[in-house]
Amino acid sequence: MNKLTSQQRKLMYLIGIIVLLIPIIQLSLPADGKKNPGGWLSQLRTKYDLGESDLGDVDASGAAINLVLLGMRGVAVNLLWIEMDQQKDMKRWAEMQATTESIVRLQPHYEKVWDINGWNLAYNTSAEWDAVPDRYYWVKQGEKLLKRGVARNKRSTELYYRAGKVLQHKIGYADESVDYRKYFLSDPDPAFNGGPDPEINPDGKDNFLAAKDWFLESCERETTRPQHILDRSLFRATPARCQFDYAAGLQKDGRFGEETRAAWELARQDWTEKYGREIFHAVIGPDESDIRMEMTEDDVKQIAKTPDDELRVRRAVDQYQKMVNYAYWRMRAFAEAEPDTAEAHRNFFEAKQAFKAQEFEKARASAFSGMEAFDKLFKRPEYKNLVDEELLTEECMLGWKIWDDIHQIAQEKVPEDFPLKWLVEMKITNDSIMKQVNKQFKRLFLDSR
Amino acid sequence: MYFDPNENLIYPLYALSNWVLTTGGLMFVVLFVSLANLLVTRGKSGVGVFFAEIRGMISDVFSISPRRIWALTRLTFMEAYRRKALAVFVVFAVMFMFAGWFMGDTQEITPDQVKVYVSFVLTSISWLTLPVVLILCCFGIPEDIRLRSIHTIVTKPARRIEIVLGRMIGVSMIGVLVLLVMGTVGYIWIVRQTPERSQKFLVCRVPQYGGIKFINRDGDEGTGVNVGDIWAFRNYIEGATKARAVWQFRNVDESVLDADGNLQLENSFSAFRSYKGDMTRSLFYDIKFYNPENGVSYTTDPQPVNEFRSKLDKIPRKLTVDDVQYDLIKDLVTKNKFLHVEIACIDREQYIGMARPDLFIRMPNRPFWVGYWKAVLGIGLIVVLVSMIGVAASTIVKGPIATVLTFVLYVLSGKNSHQFMDALMSGDFKGGGVLESIYRLVTHMNPTTDLPETPAFYVVKGFDLILTSFLWLCKQVIPRLQSFNMTEFVANGFDVPFNVSILPSLLVTTAFIIPCVMLGYFALRVRELESK
Repeated sequence: MNKLTSQQRKLMYLIGIIVLLIPIIQLSLPADGKKNPGGWLSQLRTKYDLGESDLGDVDASGAAINLVLLGMRGVAVNLLWIEMDQQKDMKRWAEMQATTESIVRLQPHYEKVWDINGWNLAYNTSAEWDAVPDRYYWVKQGEKLLKRGVARNKRSTELYYRAGKVLQHKIGYADESVDYRKYFLSDPDPAFNGGPDPEINPDGKDNFLAAKDWFLESCERETTRPQHILDRSLFRATPARCQFDYAAGLQKDGRFGEETRAAWELARQDWTEKYGREIFHAVIGPDESDIRMEMTEDDVKQIAKTPDDELRVRRAVDQYQKMVNYAYWRMRAFAEAEPDTAEAHRNFFEAKQAFKAQEFEKARASAFSGMEAFDKLFKRPEYKNLVDEELLTEECMLGWKIWDDIHQIAQEKVPEDFPLKWLVEMKITNDSIMKQVNKQFKRLFLDSR
Repeated sequence: MYFDPNENLIYPLYALSNWVLTTGGLMFVVLFVSLANLLVTRGKSGVGVFFAEIRGMISDVFSISPRRIWALTRLTFMEAYRRKALAVFVVFAVMFMFAGWFMGDTQEITPDQVKVYVSFVLTSISWLTLPVVLILCCFGIPEDIRLRSIHTIVTKPARRIEIVLGRMIGVSMIGVLVLLVMGTVGYIWIVRQTPERSQKFLVCRVPQYGGIKFINRDGDEGTGVNVGDIWAFRNYIEGATKARAVWQFRNVDESVLDADGNLQLENSFSAFRSYKGDMTRSLFYDIKFYNPENGVSYTTDPQPVNEFRSKLDKIPRKLTVDDVQYDLIKDLVTKNKFLHVEIACIDREQYIGMARPDLFIRMPNRPFWVGYWKAVLGIGLIVVLVSMIGVAASTIVKGPIATVLTFVLYVLSGKNSHQFMDALMSGDFKGGGVLESIYRLVTHMNPTTDLPETPAFYVVKGFDLILTSFLWLCKQVIPRLQSFNMTEFVANGFDVPFNVSILPSLLVTTAFIIPCVMLGYFALRVRELESK
């Protein structure tokens, strides 16, 4: 090399640069619409939908930081995760949230990061706080994070599901769900003037209905991008299950009018006419068949070519139905959509309220009406299996207990025969049900004194 | 507060002895290393050279010229300017232009949000200033030697000790200048970022802490209950039992009362429910003041716990118990000016958690800028310390090595690494020393399992012991920077206490001055300046 002149050396460098540029250009040539698919990297990006804008909203600041970190992003992220874990242990929530923010900016397309951090805020952090409005604030923070995760990863099936799950499960089923559900419609933060937080509930919907929207979106994406959270049959049942939750929630809130009946009717439609008509590829042992939850004898015969096939399909349908408790929810939806059932629920609800207010005669009359109505319902052949449903039987047993207790308070003899006597005799030995009933009754009893 | 502010407390009386001990220890290490080096490189004659150099150094100390030091300081300044060190302001400006993007919404600003702002500003200031200082101090002298410009200086009447001092002062001054500019901009940024209605969160509370002890559920002295938190900072007391947390505050007199004559007691208790109960109702505590000398006591009404936020209880000076009026200061404070405060949890089977700093007497606030600039001072002291260590290192090794050396020393000077080294040396650390750890890693042996009692493992342990002893020596050279981090006080809305943070930091910094100058002097005297 030393023998080369300065000019020759420069020429060599130029040739070297040009030689190296050719593969680089080939690799990174940008795409130019449909005419030119671009370089190798661009083609791969298109093939796997990996472009920033393909994945979701573009975050300029996060992308800039990633670029500035060069190859050290992994190291930085690891350090941040360690720091976040320490902050969580030390209950330094504000700093933990700020660190979470940095992590999601550095790993915006790693879905698990949004998932785990959303869960951490909505479930772990909220549980650490004592006051219910504070707990709700952190549930909202988790939901907001997941919502942003969805915006950054619009093709993600699982993040849509997770965002729905917080609204359905955390807000709808936590111990504080009565307050959470209220707060979802009327936020305790004075900044929202008694309305909902528009960031998580822009339309002012019930939490179960808002969750249903998220689940519908996730089911739509699931057809092109599979999820790995639940079995497909359970996953696709989520929107309809939210409708059930909504209807049941209305009853729990003491709303028994046409609105509630219509909610049950819609739940029935969602369950039997939408979810029930979906096709699932059932794999049971070595057998594979395409089935639907809602299949008539004719449907089965149409699919099955041989009697053996018929047997296989029936078995698959049966197993899948058991997995999602299809038959029960179907029956419940039909039963609850009946005006008499709504009335029976109302009677029990009123009995509880009257008992709490120590209006014992009113409570006794309402409880008796409820017992009569449910007695009739359970005795109808199409609803006979409803007696196996714990929540419903708990409700009936509690109604009976109120009625029975009022007799004792009034020092009156309980009649020999009464509606639901057969149910009481059947369930009074069931420890799990009676434990719940006694707990609820104790709470009512304490509230009334 | 999530840490005990008294961890680094130094009483002024002990300050001087602490300083003498640290400086003396470091000087011994420097002299020992220098002597060993001379003995290795020059044999027996090294002893003579060593004492000659000490004499020379003492003589140089008495002939130091501030004018020459200032000239060398200016030279360092000019060099830094020409090397575009001040370009760090561009990075700083860019960071602060976009910082708001990363940090929450100012619409719902809370004290927690302010905490994030303050932490961000002070952390980014130190992260930006320290690399600049590190590079300037570690590359100055090696570059002079490489370019042989040092010959121009050493052939002038400037002495070696003045070169070292000039460099140290010069780099420190650049660091301090950068810090002042960034500190000012950072302060303006925090104030501007915080909306008008939230400016009240920018305060420096002045706490007066007391000592704490716990009484268990049977009424005996105990330690409080651990409710299963990973971080066992707080201990819990059980409700509706004899369990209590008892604080004892010193020097309580009329001066601790506010302008209205109230005693301001602030707490940040934590709540733990063993069952959820009525979630819409907070857990409650009460505060009992008692004077063991005259038996007078006063208990407040139950107060709700305001978890993860501070709660201020104003106790009036005039207290009525059973129609008898008492004076808080005259009747409830002992003759020795002690105030005894007992906290009890009201709710049965529920718990309230607390640590020593969770209850304090709140004195009048200081303005936010006071605490903020104290925190900047903390960073400034780190800058000075790094400059001294960096310059001393650069007189021995080349620039990149000196940079790595100083950086490693800085990284190791944190609280966690000192705790780790302490645990390793005391044998508390499970898994053993270097060889033992390697053996355990390779054989997948649990750290809690004892090693086999064979001669080979005695050798392994013996070797580890030698290395651990060497680590002890190294640890003495590594500064403890625990007290330098004053950000946490300001970010949490507290003033930076002098004897807990500023005094220990000043002591550590000044303790390094003489040893670092000595080391730099020896190295420049002994080393061959012709070698690049």
